[in-house]
Amino acid sequence: MGASPRAVRAFVLLAGFYLVALCVLGVLAGAVAAAWVWAPHLAAIKVTVISALLGLPVLRGVFTLGTGAGDREEALPVTEADQPELWYTVRSLADRSGTRAPDEILLTGEVNAAVSEDARLLGMLPGRRRLYLGVPLLTGLTEPQLHSVIAHELGHYGNADTRLAGITRRGRDCVIRTVAAFQEQERKRIGKERSRQEEAAARRLRKGRKAKRVDTRGAGFGYRMMAKPFQAYARFYLRATSSVGRQQELAADRMAVRVAGRDATASALREIAALDTAHDFYQSRYALLGVEAGLLPPRGEVFGGLRHLLADPRRRSGLAELRYELPPGEESPYDSHPPVAERVRLIEALPDDGLAAAPARPALTLLRDAQRVLAQLEDVLLTSEALAMERVDWPELTHRGMHALAVAAAEPLRTALATAGVAPGSASGDLIALLDRADAGQLWLTAGHLPKSPEAAQATGRAAREFLRPALESGTRRLAELALVEKAGAYWELSWSEQARLRLPGAAYAGGTEETVAAAVRAAVADVPDTAPLRTLLGH
Amino acid sequence: MSGIFPLVVIAAGLFFWLRSRKRAKRTEEFAAELGAGLLPPERQNTDRAYPDPEAEAVLAALSRGEWQPAAQALAAAGTDWERRSYLVGVVARQAAEDDTWLRAWQATRPDDPDAAVVHADAKVALAWRIRGSGWAKDTTTEQAAGFHRVLREAREDFARAVSLAQPGDPTPYLLQIPLYKGLSAPHEALHQLWAEVTARAPYHYEAHWHALQYWSAKWCGSAELARNFAAQAAATAPRGSLLTMFPLVSWYEHNDDEAPREAYGWPEMMALTDAALADVAAARPDHPRVAEVRHLLAYCLTKQDRHEAALGHFRLVDGYVGALPWHYYSDPAEIYCHVRDSALKGAAARADG
Repeated sequence: MGASPRAVRAFVLLAGFYLVALCVLGVLAGAVAAAWVWAPHLAAIKVTVISALLGLPVLRGVFTLGTGAGDREEALPVTEADQPELWYTVRSLADRSGTRAPDEILLTGEVNAAVSEDARLLGMLPGRRRLYLGVPLLTGLTEPQLHSVIAHELGHYGNADTRLAGITRRGRDCVIRTVAAFQEQERKRIGKERSRQEEAAARRLRKGRKAKRVDTRGAGFGYRMMAKPFQAYARFYLRATSSVGRQQELAADRMAVRVAGRDATASALREIAALDTAHDFYQSRYALLGVEAGLLPPRGEVFGGLRHLLADPRRRSGLAELRYELPPGEESPYDSHPPVAERVRLIEALPDDGLAAAPARPALTLLRDAQRVLAQLEDVLLTSEALAMERVDWPELTHRGMHALAVAAAEPLRTALATAGVAPGSASGDLIALLDRADAGQLWLTAGHLPKSPEAAQATGRAAREFLRPALESGTRRLAELALVEKAGAYWELSWSEQARLRLPGAAYAGGTEETVAAAVRAAVADVPDTAPLRTLLGH
Repeated sequence: MSGIFPLVVIAAGLFFWLRSRKRAKRTEEFAAELGAGLLPPERQNTDRAYPDPEAEAVLAALSRGEWQPAAQALAAAGTDWERRSYLVGVVARQAAEDDTWLRAWQATRPDDPDAAVVHADAKVALAWRIRGSGWAKDTTTEQAAGFHRVLREAREDFARAVSLAQPGDPTPYLLQIPLYKGLSAPHEALHQLWAEVTARAPYHYEAHWHALQYWSAKWCGSAELARNFAAQAAATAPRGSLLTMFPLVSWYEHNDDEAPREAYGWPEMMALTDAALADVAAARPDHPRVAEVRHLLAYCLTKQDRHEAALGHFRLVDGYVGALPWHYYSDPAEIYCHVRDSALKGAAARADG
C-alpha cells in the first residue's frame, strides 16, 4: 500500500506527541519534587496543587483516562430495544465495511454524522465507539444516502485500510482532543475570572466607586502556557499527517461507494451541502422565529419541522441549485477533508455500479415512532428556558413571532416620537401622530431623535436626512403594519415557500398588502410628504 | 608659529558663516520683496480655483433661497459646455446641502432642463457627502449603503435630465461618469456613456477629468488604463483644450506618494510639463479650468526647481486654492503656501546669484 511509509511516519510523529506529554509531566513532577525538598511546606503544597491542576488535562487528553462528561456532545442515546431497524442497519453497514459496529448510537440536532472512539494510549488500544447521527440528515436524506454517510464514517476505522492508518485516525482524534481540553479549561478559567471581576465591579459601583474594567488577560495563563507546546506540536503533527488524512477521507468515500453505491454517495454529499444551508435557514426563520416572544413550535417540530420546508416545491428548486453548485472548500490545518466538490468529482468519475439512485424511502422511516423520538430529542438538546416556552402551532407561531419582531423593530421610532413629545399610545395612535407631524413639516425634526451613528450625527442638511431615512422608513413601515393588525385585523401568514408576509383579510394575494404599505410609507416619508395613502389604508 | 593656524581656520570659518548668514538674510529680504502681494494661508479661498464673481453672486442668491440668478447664469452659458458643466457643479453642490430653492425652481418651471440636471447632479454630490472622502475600507456599512442608494436614485434623475436636455448638450451624460464610478459600472457601460459624451463634446475637460478618475486604480481601472486614457486624450486633443493636463494628473494620482523627489525632473515628466505649459498658453483666457491647470503646473515646476516659471503661475492663481494637488491635503491653504514659498525662496536665491 502506497500510504504505508507515510503512515509509519505519522505513527512516529504521534509517538513524539506522547514524548512531549511525558516531558511536560516530567517537568511538573520535577517541580513538585524540588518544592518538597527545598521550599517551605506551604509553598510545596501550593506547587503540588497547581501542578496537579495543570497536569490533569494532559493525562486526560493524552491517555484518555476516562473522558469527562464535559467533552461529550449533547445527544440523545437510542437503544437497540427502542430502535431495532436503525441498529440493524448500522450493524450490517459495519459488517459490510469490515469494521466493528459502534457501541452507542446517539441522535443530535446537527446536519452531521460522526463516529468517535475513546481510544486509549494514543489510539493503540481500541475503546468505546459512538455513532452520532444528526436528525436533519435523517429528515433530508434517503435511506441509501444515509447508508453512504454511515459507511463513510465507519470506513475511517475500517480494517480494509492499514492498521497503522487506523491508528493515525485515532491519533488525530487524540491530538485534537488534548488541544481542545486545554482550550476548554482556559475558557472556563476566563469565564470564572470574568464573572468574579464583574461581581467585584458591581460591588464597587454599589459603593459609589469607579468600576475597573474587566480584564481576563491574566486568567487561564497557566493553561495557555501549558497548551502552547501541545498546540505547536499538534499543528505540526496535523500538517505532517494531512496527506494521510486526505487519503483516508478518499478511502472512506470509496468504502461508502462500495457499500451504498456510487450515485447514493455522490448525491448524499451534494444533499448534505444543501441541507446545511436549508437547516440554518429553517432554524432562524421558522423553528426559532418566536423565541424572542417566548414561543416554540409544537413538541417534536423544533427538529422535525425541517421536513415541511424540504417538501415545499419552491424551496426544493432553490435547494436543487445549492446541490448543483457545491461550496468551494475552506482550507484549515485541522480539517483533513478534501473539498466536497473535489470528493464529488472523484466519486462521480467512478464507473457506474448499476446501483442507480432509485426512488427510495426517506431515512427518517428507519426510526420507529419518529415523532416521539423528535420530542425526546428536544428534552435533551433544548435548554430548560426553551423547554418552558409556550408551544403553539405553526400559523400562530408565525403571526405572533413576526408581530413581536415588528414591535421590537418599531421601538426606536416610537421612542423618538415620545422624545419629541408624543404621549405613547397604541401603534395606530403613534402612527397618526407621526403623520400629523409630517403634514406639519416636522417629520425630520421627529426623526432627528432616532439613534444615530457618529457619521450620521455629524452630517448636516440633506445628508443628515439621508442617514436617517432608512431607519425612519423601516420604523414607519413596522408601525403601519402594527396599526393594520390593530385596526384592520391584518395578520402574518405562514408560508413554507417564502418569507412570512402581512396580509389583510380579503387581500387578493399575500404580497399585495406589503407592497401597498411600502408604497404608502415611502410617500409619507418623502422629501415632500404625502400622508394621504397611509391614512386611507388605516381608515380601511 | 604653529599656534596661529587654528586662529586662521576660526577666522575663515567666521567669515564664511557671516557671509552665508548675510546672504540668507538678503535672500529672505529678496524673497519677501518678490513675494509682496502674495497672500498668507488664512486669506486663501479653498472652495474655488480662481475668482469667479458670477458663481459667487449665484451662490449668494441661492443662500437666500433665490434660484433665478442660477437659472440666468446657466442660460447665459448657453452652449459653452465647459462653463455649463462647471456652473451646474457649483449650483448642484449647494443643492446637496439644502434643496428647498431647487424644489421651488422645479415647481415654477416643471420641465426646465437646467433644473433637472442640477437636481440629478446634486444627488451625486449628496451621495458623496454621505460616503465621505475616505478609502473604501474606512467607509462604514451605513455610509456605503446610503451612498449606493442615493446614486441609484440619481440614475433615474439623470434619465429625466437627458430626456429634457438639448440634443447636443453633453452635460447630463458627462456628469453621470462619477455615478458610474461610484456604482462600479462595468467598462463596457462606461464606453457606451463615453461615446455619448464625445459625440457631443470630444475634448471636454471635465468629462476627461471624471473619466480619468473612473479609469484610475483606486476606482474602476488600473494605473495602466488611466495612463493610456490620459496619453491618448493628450495626443489627440487640439491645443488650448487643456487635455495635456491629464497625463500629469494620472501620474500624480498614481505615483506622487511613493516617487522620489527627483522623479519630477525625469525627461518624460519635463516633456509632459512643457506640453501642458504650451497648452495653457494657447487656451482661451476665460476657460473655466485654466486656473486648475496652473495650480498643478506650479506644483510640478516647483518640484522641477523651475522656480521662476512656477512663481509666474502662482501669481496668476494666488488667493484661490481649491484645486489639485492641494485639496488632497487636510489643510490645502497651508500646503499651497508652503510649496509656493519654497518656489519663492528658490527664485530669490537664483536672482541673488
